[in-house]
Amino acid sequence: MALSILTGIPISAGISIGKAFFLNRSHFGQVPRQTLAAELVTGEMERLRQAFAQARSELAAIRDRVPAELKDHALIIDSHLMIMGDPKLMGAAINHLETLHINAEWALEKAVSDLEGAFKALDDPYFRERLQDVRLVAERVQNDLLGQKVDFKSIDSRVVLLAYDLTPADTIELQVDKIMSFATVMGGKTSHAGILAKSLGIPAVVGVSGLEEHIQDGNLVILDGIKGKVIVEPDEEELALYGDLKYQFESYRAGIIKNCHLPGETIDGYRIKVKANIELYEEVAQVVDNGGEGIGLFRTEYAYLNRTSLPDEDELYEHYRDLADILSPKRVILRTLDLGADKFMAHFGRLEEHNPAMGLRAIRFCLRHRELFKTQLRAILRASVVGNISIMFPMISGLKELRQSLALLRECQQELVRQGLSYNPDMPVGIMMELPAAVMVAEILAREVDFFSIGTNDLIQYSLGIDRTNRHVSYLYQPLHPAVVRSIKHVVDAAHQAGIECDLCGEMASDPFCVPILMGMQIDAISLNPQTIPGIKHIIRQVTMDDCKKLLKQVLDSPTVSRTNQLVRETVFQKFPDQLSFFFSLLDTDEGPSQ
Amino acid sequence: MSDDTTQSAPVSTASASEGSAQESVRLVCVLNESGLHARPAARLSQEAQKFQADISIGMSGRTVDAKSILDILTLAAGHGANLELRATGVDAHAALEQLAGLFKNRFQ
Repeated sequence: MALSILTGIPISAGISIGKAFFLNRSHFGQVPRQTLAAELVTGEMERLRQAFAQARSELAAIRDRVPAELKDHALIIDSHLMIMGDPKLMGAAINHLETLHINAEWALEKAVSDLEGAFKALDDPYFRERLQDVRLVAERVQNDLLGQKVDFKSIDSRVVLLAYDLTPADTIELQVDKIMSFATVMGGKTSHAGILAKSLGIPAVVGVSGLEEHIQDGNLVILDGIKGKVIVEPDEEELALYGDLKYQFESYRAGIIKNCHLPGETIDGYRIKVKANIELYEEVAQVVDNGGEGIGLFRTEYAYLNRTSLPDEDELYEHYRDLADILSPKRVILRTLDLGADKFMAHFGRLEEHNPAMGLRAIRFCLRHRELFKTQLRAILRASVVGNISIMFPMISGLKELRQSLALLRECQQELVRQGLSYNPDMPVGIMMELPAAVMVAEILAREVDFFSIGTNDLIQYSLGIDRTNRHVSYLYQPLHPAVVRSIKHVVDAAHQAGIECDLCGEMASDPFCVPILMGMQIDAISLNPQTIPGIKHIIRQVTMDDCKKLLKQVLDSPTVSRTNQLVRETVFQKFPDQLSFFFSLLDTDEGPSQ
Repeated sequence: MSDDTTQSAPVSTASASEGSAQESVRLVCVLNESGLHARPAARLSQEAQKFQADISIGMSGRTVDAKSILDILTLAAGHGANLELRATGVDAHAALEQLAGLFKNRFQ
């Protein structure tokens, strides 16, 4: 048995085995506390000011050494410099010292604990975690007060670095090539340490309590960045087990990257296209690198945001044309504007909407503001002569909205003809299937379009009647709810009966539990975040269509979500028990896919 | 409707004579997706400190010092939050002009 096993939050995947090295630094709870005779107060105040000044110039010097490729770190250090000079920190510490006649270290500690109350009361986890920045800044000043220096130069062999916390400034001073992995006491999912680990591509665990109590310099440790464990002085058996797991994980990671350019094909030869959801032209490289077979959803909203004027037709045309051109002959599905009035308040006035999710948005907004919509339609039509472009309308609830949209598209085509501008008359036209109403009339809609694409995020919310950003009901957001599974099946069947293609572009496409079920329905393509494509293709390539169909049959008979999850596990993942954790550990948890 | 996303609402403005105290108020909206997080808060307090005027930020009945990054962070102003900037001092107008510009440009 190991000496001890500590747990924390896995923040960067991988396994490493090595010698522990403590980054030796003070932190709060250990500062000396003294009351001072009145005549010493002035001198002590000066000592505190000096420490702030010194810490500030040290930090500024580090900031100037930040290499250009770590620009984000420089910006974080800038905010730390502002905190260091903030009246609420230094001013408050000086004030405590002067009124309470206490030593500089204690006065600073008190100033920090005053701020703790204000930050801990915040609901938003991002702002709450900024208390950590305050602590790091104060810690630097404490180090100067206590005369402690951190010697980063002393790491002489590759180590597992352990620290109370790692700051962006630390990362500039550290010899990163000597660090195999690291664990910290502090830190959550949005901490700087996580960003660092991912950019270095090394395993890391944060939020590990007991790190300092249970580990000493030179201890042999296993750091498990998949499950979030730190194992101190493992025995032979644990070493063998983790050595094996390390090998498996590394081969898994290398394998999915190597094989991501192979087609999404089951063992028994069934093809399913695996495409990407993107919103920026710059993401094309990622799509290609990760083996994306086209763009299943291009979100066109970005060109309209972050600006005060609306984009004109030529600008949009060039944007769409360049995208189609670079990906040619791969297909690019452009989804027309999926925005509500709230995003255009400068142009159309803000609407008082009690419930914007059910308000004037997407196709409804576009049909209300026809000129805005026509500008986009004309740009798409003009771009359609290049590459392989399809158009897709969001939030269609029934035939009337579809026909109104198609009529506008025809109107634009006629205008282009009159102007002598060319377009592709055969550009496929599809719709997003994301409202329960559209699901119910799928057969009717299928007769008038070239393809469907199921938007599961909205379909799930509208079908189950829950807002998943509302934490009181978010537990009800269940992609494998029998109602959702049946809705999707209904849409796929309706499409295939009408002889058209059916894609799916919601988050379900990147969920390893859902994909085998969708495959059983013989969905034509799935579209997901580029980074997740290799892992999903890997799953597709090791199942058989036969398995997927059997699974689907069982799932359709399953009355509950938990039973369904169990069925998927038994069917797909029983043979590969580690694969699920590998898959999930490689996802970027900060980045919630939005559709 | 103005094409602008910030709206100025000059309140009691004192005489324009040189050196006299001014008071100025402006309403701004947080347009950047992640809200007034660490970097925008750093920019905002940095700019505010360049002016002599006292500058405050009001949100939902709370008022904080625009020159303190810590104060700004504890407002926890998210995307779409409406804030009231208020400045008093010789360079109050110029200060708010500058700060409103940061909001408008999403702290880019």
